Amino acid sequence: MNLMGNILINVLIAFLIGSLLLGFQRKVMARIQRRPGPPVIQHLLHTLKFYIKESSFPRTAAMPFYIAIAATLCGIWISAVIVGPVLGGSLLLFFGIYALHKIVEHNAGSSSGSPYGKLSCVRAVFSAAAEMPLFAVLAIIYLQTGTMIIGDIVNYQNIHGPLIFQMPLAAMMFFVLILSKAPYSPFSITKGKDIISGYETEHFGVLRGYLMISESIAWYMLLWIFLTVFIGGLNLPLYILGMVIITGVTAFINATTPMLNPNHSVAIQVILAFIGIAGSIVLMVVT
Amino acid sequence: MNRLRTGSLTALIISAIGIIYALIMDPAPWVVYGVAIFLIPLFILSVGILSMAEPEEEEADERVNEPFIGY
Repeated sequence: MNLMGNILINVLIAFLIGSLLLGFQRKVMARIQRRPGPPVIQHLLHTLKFYIKESSFPRTAAMPFYIAIAATLCGIWISAVIVGPVLGGSLLLFFGIYALHKIVEHNAGSSSGSPYGKLSCVRAVFSAAAEMPLFAVLAIIYLQTGTMIIGDIVNYQNIHGPLIFQMPLAAMMFFVLILSKAPYSPFSITKGKDIISGYETEHFGVLRGYLMISESIAWYMLLWIFLTVFIGGLNLPLYILGMVIITGVTAFINATTPMLNPNHSVAIQVILAFIGIAGSIVLMVVT
Repeated sequence: MNRLRTGSLTALIISAIGIIYALIMDPAPWVVYGVAIFLIPLFILSVGILSMAEPEEEEADERVNEPFIGY
C-alpha cells in the first residue's frame, strides 16, 4: 500500500475506534451512576448527525479564524497519526502536536466571541502547566532508552521488557495527561460544565461535528502512544483491548470524581508531575 | 448559491483532486504529508458545509445576530 493509502486507513481507524471508545466511556460512566446511558455508538452517531444539522455562524465570531481553528485541530491530529502509527517517528513531534492542541483550545475559545469561550481560552493557558508531566515523561524515557524515536523505543522494549514495569511513575504521569483530555474528567477545566461547553460553546452544528472527529482521533492517538511507549508494539486486537481497558478506567474515575476547580486541577497535576519525576529518577538510580 | 457554499464546493473539488493524486501518483513523501495534513481536513470541512442544513430565510437573521452567547 502506498503512503497516502496508509495514512487514510490509519486516520479512518483512529476516527472510528476513537468515536466508539468515547461512546464506551459515556456508557460506563452512566452505568456507574446507575443510568442506562446512551448506546456505545452514540458518539459516532452524534458526530455524523451534526453534519446535517442546521448550522449558522454567529455575528460575534472572528471569521474566518473561527472556522480555520477547527480545521487546524483536525490537521494537527492527522499529523499525530502520521508521526505515530504511520511512521513511528519522534516523541518530540508528538509533544509539539500536544502543545498545538492547547493553542487550538485557546484560540477556539477566543475566536467565537462567547464569554464562556473566552473563559475556556484563559483556562487553556492556565492549564498549560499540565503539560509539564508530558515533558517530564519524554525526558525520563530518553534517559532510560537513549532515544526519542517510537520505533526504537518499541525495539528497546522487545529486548528489555515493557517500560511500564521499569518506570511506572512515568506511566502514571502520562495516564494523568490522558485523563486530563477525557470528557467529564476532573482535570478537564477547559470544557467544564460551569462554562457550558467551554471553547466549543459557540462551535455548534457542523463545526461541532468537525471538532468531535478531531477529538475522536486525539483520544485514539493518546491511548496509542501510551500503549506503544509503555507496553511496546502490539497487534490491532491487543491495542483495542488496551484502549478499552484504559477508557474504562478513565470512565470510572470521571464518574466518581467531581470536576476540580482550575487552581486545584493544575496544582494536583503539577504535584503528580513532581512525584513522578523525583520517583522515576530515584528508581533509575536504584535499579 | 451563496459564497460559503461556492467556496466549499471549490475546496471539496480541490481537496478531492489532491487526495486522489497522492493516492494514485504516489508523489514524494513530503508532498503526501502536505496533502494529508492540509487537504484531508479541508475535504472533511467542505463536505460538512455542503451537507449542513441552513436556517429558514425568516429565521436566518436571528440565528446569526442573536446566538446564545450567555448574556
